[in-house]
Amino acid sequence: MSKVSSVAPPQSLQDEFNPFLSMAKGFDTAADHLGLDEGVREVLRRPDREMTVAIPVVMDDGSMRVFTGYRVQHNFSRGPCKGGIRYAPDVNLDEIRALAAWMTWKCAVVDIPFGGAKGGVICDPRQLSQGELERITRRYTAAIMDILGPDRDVPAPDVNTNEQTMAWIMDTYSMHVRRTTTAIVTGKPLSIGGSRGRTEATGRGVMLICREALKKIGLRPEKTRVVVQGSGNVGGIGAMLLHREGYRVISLSDMYGSIVDEKGLDVPAVLAHLKKNKKLEGFPGARTLAGLTEQLELDCDVLVPAAVENQITSKNADKIQAKLIVEGANGPTTFAASEMLDRRGVVVVPDILANAGGVTVSYFEWVQDRMGYFWTEERVNSTLEQIMVKSFQDVDAVAHQYKVSLRIAAYILAIDRVAAVHRMRGIFA
Amino acid sequence: MVITQPTFGAEFDDLAPVARATDENLFATMMASFDAAAARLGLDPSLYAILRKPDREIHVAVPTPLDGGGLSVFDGFRVQHNAGKGPYFGPLRLSGTLTVDELRALAAWMTWKCALLDIPFGGSAGGIRIDPGERSETEVERAVRRYVSCLLSDIGQDHDVFSSDMATDERVMAWVMDTVSMHSRFTENAVVCGKPIELGGTQGHSDAVAQGLRTILTRALELAGLPERGAEVMIQGAGSRGGNVARLLDGEHKIVGLSDVHGALYNAKGLAHGPILDWRERHGDLRGCTGDFERITNEEMLGRPCDVFIPCAVDTTVNQKNAPSLAARLVVEGAHGPVSANADKILEKRGVRVVPDILATGGGAIVNYFEWVQNRAGYAWSLDRVHKRMARMLDSAWSEVTTIAGEQSVPLRTAAHMLAVRRVAQADRVRGLYA
Repeated sequence: MSKVSSVAPPQSLQDEFNPFLSMAKGFDTAADHLGLDEGVREVLRRPDREMTVAIPVVMDDGSMRVFTGYRVQHNFSRGPCKGGIRYAPDVNLDEIRALAAWMTWKCAVVDIPFGGAKGGVICDPRQLSQGELERITRRYTAAIMDILGPDRDVPAPDVNTNEQTMAWIMDTYSMHVRRTTTAIVTGKPLSIGGSRGRTEATGRGVMLICREALKKIGLRPEKTRVVVQGSGNVGGIGAMLLHREGYRVISLSDMYGSIVDEKGLDVPAVLAHLKKNKKLEGFPGARTLAGLTEQLELDCDVLVPAAVENQITSKNADKIQAKLIVEGANGPTTFAASEMLDRRGVVVVPDILANAGGVTVSYFEWVQDRMGYFWTEERVNSTLEQIMVKSFQDVDAVAHQYKVSLRIAAYILAIDRVAAVHRMRGIFA
Repeated sequence: MVITQPTFGAEFDDLAPVARATDENLFATMMASFDAAAARLGLDPSLYAILRKPDREIHVAVPTPLDGGGLSVFDGFRVQHNAGKGPYFGPLRLSGTLTVDELRALAAWMTWKCALLDIPFGGSAGGIRIDPGERSETEVERAVRRYVSCLLSDIGQDHDVFSSDMATDERVMAWVMDTVSMHSRFTENAVVCGKPIELGGTQGHSDAVAQGLRTILTRALELAGLPERGAEVMIQGAGSRGGNVARLLDGEHKIVGLSDVHGALYNAKGLAHGPILDWRERHGDLRGCTGDFERITNEEMLGRPCDVFIPCAVDTTVNQKNAPSLAARLVVEGAHGPVSANADKILEKRGVRVVPDILATGGGAIVNYFEWVQNRAGYAWSLDRVHKRMARMLDSAWSEVTTIAGEQSVPLRTAAHMLAVRRVAQADRVRGLYA
């Protein structure tokens, strides 16, 4: 594995809009606070292991193509590696490395016994048939099989991969090892060892974190105006659950723009409208805002960016009116913007805490698969609640102790947990 | 049923022979239920083709030294039907008349039963063609250990799990566990269920089927519009299963008939089953037992009036000959395949509701599954937890089956198989075919 050469991110990635650079800055600031020695710092900066594989596949027309796949395992001190597999034309090793590290910190913040990993295949799923996707998935799984396993590395869905992809991985692995191995991958269909409550887990986590953060601020649900950027798996479900808890969700957005109603939106009706019309525009009784960033500057108490990265930047950070930002997406706030908000006293709950509900329920799926016993949805939800509430309190306590923002506190907590295990385990020859 | 002992070659010529409509044996009964469900579901023909044959059949020779010197070679089998939803799981049977056909039927049944109850297992069945009554304990032990070692690469907690069955009690299951563990060089107990408590057995194993049957009976009485308490119940079989059912229903219902292989005891005013069961335990059968009852044949018993008939003994008890005169208003199957496919049709026309075996005897599979879960976790559950969780799983299966039966206007048996086949087909579909 001689692929890892530089500690600093490549030059091309060094600008405000690179979310991985934001993460690196968060890491460095937290490491300074912890007084982490240079040796441990270097260990934690680079992946433990990287694998690049060639994936020869016979296409439907009889020709053969060779795709490239990666699996990067950032750190397995705290347990087996955990992380998604993405299929996209722009997948590259630098991105996979950064995302793998992100998973290490995320798992450590919510204190689940996993290290971080990420994988991907360079391909354009829109140009591939279902059969071709299946063959790519099975060959990729077979190629990286030596470093996978319920106690080694457990993949999950990510960009352009889904339940079906996970079912193929589970089947390929199980056939190779000659035994049913459901715990090899999470995000599976319920029929072969998936977990109840997984689909809405990230959204539920976002709702729980909002609730805990608002308790600190002292805002009552019915008085709280929430703006949600996004309306999908995270934003839509998050908004729905916040609505159910009594919060006033005043705006939701999709890729075309946003809808606003200061009196509060009927979120279930909005989502039904979206499902039917494929867009939010035209929802009765709400006004429409064009563009993506106008919505972020609305007068509100809570802003939940749950769409894509780099939405809150040094350009608009000073126009944000919310008192609290809960990052449902990965990297929606640039590091520079984060510092500006911090100076203004806006509380930002960072992505590695706010959207960790998804990986937490993935962990529950792995636990259930190992036992072979499956929990009710109520049990999944209540255990998730315990973990999210505890994690928020842990991060908040660190923020007070070090007098830092929640983002830096989350990194301090995560790095400290991983580093502590490193020191205890020592280096094995 | 017709017992055939075909030669080695003949048994493997056709993996799963098509049942004829006139056949009345276990395999024909099972296939009829499956076909009815598959037709009703409009099952994809390729999935139908996969599901009607076992994934794999293994036949091993089991050479066994005899106590008096010399050696006998017994036939051992394991039929693995489907592993779409998880490891294979099914009975280990010792019987002098064991046939591959009956194992094929049982293996498929286990697949449907587990899917129906949402247990993450596929189905299998196996055994040794040996009559334990005619062999010494040490001979049986040697045969079981040799059989297990022949199958070592085909069984395991994530591969194929044994459960206890005819003539395989705790003691036999302990031999299986010990043989596997000695070969693995570590304690491996999740590979076999029905073990003694000391070796990782579970609370609630001994009367699991009866407990489950009682839960299902309560719901079935409600559905059939019969009194939820004080129903007149006739039980075929006074052995451990029938006896447990009688004991558990005591106080809630009136047991009017009880039978064993030699004949039946009947009293329309209610049997004092306590002394009868004690007699059975002391003497091994009901011959010579005295008390306030009428002694009749098993066939006569079927014609006596009652609310509920619970056959807990052998398969094909209710067949096309006696189904027209069966007097019970509700049949709850306490054994595998007591009602033949032809009898099923007759009862349906007559409006007699039949609660199918895969649902009514589900308590046994559930508690075996719980044993496996506890072994994997290395943590044992209380009896209360076992009972609560079992009732939850049965209630949920019951609700789903009755919903399907109502929506599709099909008998409970077809509804139960539809739910099961749909779940297995779904698992096979998402996993895809792997070369």
